Amino acid sequence: MNDIEIDSVTKRFEDTIAVDNVSLNVARGEVFGLLGPNGAGKSTLTKMLCGMINPTSGAIKVGGYSIQDNLMKVKEIIGVVPQDIVLYDYLNAHENLAFFGKLYGLSGDKLRNRIREVLDFTQLGEKAVKRRISTYSGGMKRRVNIAVALLHKPQVLLLDEPTAGLDPKNKLALWEIIQTLHEEGRTIMLTTHMMDEAEELCNQVAIMNKGRVIALGSPRQLIKKVKMENTITVVPNKMTPQLIEAMRKFSRVERSYKVYDENEKRETLKIITERAEDILPDVVSTILSMGTKILSVELSRATLEDVFILLTGRSLREEEEQS
Amino acid sequence: MKLKRTMHQVFAIARTDFLGIARNKTAIFFTLLFPLFFLIIIGFTFGTQSTSETSRVHIGIVNLDGKMINVNGTISENSTIGDAFVQNLKDANFTVYEYSAYGDKNTNGTAAYDISRRQIKIAVVIPSNFTEALSYQYTNISGMPIPTKASLELYTDPSDPTGSIIAQQSILGFILEFIKHYQEIAINQLPSGFQEYAAVLADPITVLTSEADVSGRQLRWIDYMVPGSLGLVLLWSGLNHASVAIAGERTKGTFQRMIIAPVSPITVLVGKVISCLIIVYLSATIMLAAGILIFQVNLYWNIPVIALAIFLGAISAIGLGLIISSIAKNVEAADAITILISVPLQFFIGAFFPLSIMPEPAQIFGEALPFTKLVYAMQSTMTKNLPFEAVVPEFLYMSISGLILFALGIIAYQLSLKRL
Repeated sequence: MNDIEIDSVTKRFEDTIAVDNVSLNVARGEVFGLLGPNGAGKSTLTKMLCGMINPTSGAIKVGGYSIQDNLMKVKEIIGVVPQDIVLYDYLNAHENLAFFGKLYGLSGDKLRNRIREVLDFTQLGEKAVKRRISTYSGGMKRRVNIAVALLHKPQVLLLDEPTAGLDPKNKLALWEIIQTLHEEGRTIMLTTHMMDEAEELCNQVAIMNKGRVIALGSPRQLIKKVKMENTITVVPNKMTPQLIEAMRKFSRVERSYKVYDENEKRETLKIITERAEDILPDVVSTILSMGTKILSVELSRATLEDVFILLTGRSLREEEEQS
Repeated sequence: MKLKRTMHQVFAIARTDFLGIARNKTAIFFTLLFPLFFLIIIGFTFGTQSTSETSRVHIGIVNLDGKMINVNGTISENSTIGDAFVQNLKDANFTVYEYSAYGDKNTNGTAAYDISRRQIKIAVVIPSNFTEALSYQYTNISGMPIPTKASLELYTDPSDPTGSIIAQQSILGFILEFIKHYQEIAINQLPSGFQEYAAVLADPITVLTSEADVSGRQLRWIDYMVPGSLGLVLLWSGLNHASVAIAGERTKGTFQRMIIAPVSPITVLVGKVISCLIIVYLSATIMLAAGILIFQVNLYWNIPVIALAIFLGAISAIGLGLIISSIAKNVEAADAITILISVPLQFFIGAFFPLSIMPEPAQIFGEALPFTKLVYAMQSTMTKNLPFEAVVPEFLYMSISGLILFALGIIAYQLSLKRL
């Protein structure tokens, strides 16, 4: 059974087509990743899913209910975690949860019990709950942001960049929360810029670009589909266009490009190939023959990030910086 | 069941909105305390005096009477009438400052210097031959008195036309009384057969002026200001809060989160309106309580009429606020637009300064504002104790303008939903 059915949906804003004839199905209990550069149409699609805006054409069903005909029912079964911290900073966590709980029709003991449950689930301490949100750390705010969306036990969760701006420790903690929600059988649609997040959490991934879905499948399927099994990462002492061009002359090299490595603080050369082990000696000797020293060489499996670059022509880091 | 749930949602939205004010010191000041602050400043400056009180008229006197001067062979050296004139001004409770010369704006210690620095509103120069002229001391060769007028010079401050007019009118009124007194003395010196005839000739028209008894009480300016301050409440608490109510939520993203929940946009709107009304009534209560406790105003309390008038005025303010809130791009823009509207408007609603002192276009503009109608209705009800029938036109005007502005506010709100 599908919890989300998007059938030939188009959204037009005057002369701009934000979403162009998109069709997607998300099965119940699945974690579905929605990836794409800025302006790809992810946000518009998410807004249509939660009924904030109507599609120009096409049909959307959530939990079997049409958003056009039965929006209130859809709102009952959907929980949305926005990218920004959308809470009242002059209220404490308990007051925020009580407010949003009432909007979802909870009251009395039922509301109190649910607040306790979601606070336990998101591991927010008892003392912290009584402090105003404005005094919370970024990680705690994110947890409350998620807790609000869980109050009414939604079958479908839409998470928009849920770990954006978090340190690794808090990011891992939130991944655990999402994994637990997945294990509970909830259907999750995750919009993210972080490829490691999508690979770690998602069963299915759709990559959107210019309003259209340009790739759809599991992370492994996508990597296989674009024939990118391995990556050779070389850190040379100097990067030249000739170096990148020389790599492209090898047979079985899908793509070679440079990226700026934050950890190394220098430009690195990436070579995407099906047979990394076979061409590695030739790659090394070619670089050396061009008078360039090699500071390090690494051989790794291709990632979703590489798929993203191949399909959209842009790195996710660029997207992140722009957003 | 559905109604109960909707009511829960409405009150949750109203409560959260209200807490947004109650837990924010800046918001408390601008929404609830600024009108009070304004009332206290204006009230202490102008309001506690009687409308007929003269002590607030500060007069500079340059008494040259008695200063020795030779006019056509007559030596002036007597200052009796000039001194009496000054003493009578003081007795009439004017605040009098005495100077030796009119001078100029750069010479310290002169009347002109103090006018330019707003220490006095008007300067009166009594000429050196004031006593001689008024006591017929100018005579021809045969010893017959030459009719000679005594001329007083008045100087006013052109930078304060309103204050100058008030001071000038007060002084002219005093001079009229002084002339009448002088005439009585002069007529008494005539032969008895001519006295009555001369009295009528000198003062052919009798004018009696007094303040109409509009209240049944001795009124001070503050007794009009406190009911008038309710108009300020609408601008600062109603308009100000309503204009940021939706824009603020939209900027924070909480509006979008509310709309995502199974809540209709109208439920959100009703919650916001209730919160605005609570804030307006709270602010109105604070203003009226301040009037009683700080200024000891003595007003008539027709609570249902007062409450209804505030409600109708608030609907206009909230409607206007909703329009601003819906068209503004974010909360900062909404704030700026509101200040741009409410700050000038507070001078056009007749709360503290009567519209009658303004130029005609300003009067027409002020009269068209529903907030002015509230001020009039409240002054009529609370100060003059007029019956409800007397303020029905104001109530009708407020109802119609409230309906129009609120309807426009809802339309703007509905349109803003498309921009989410």
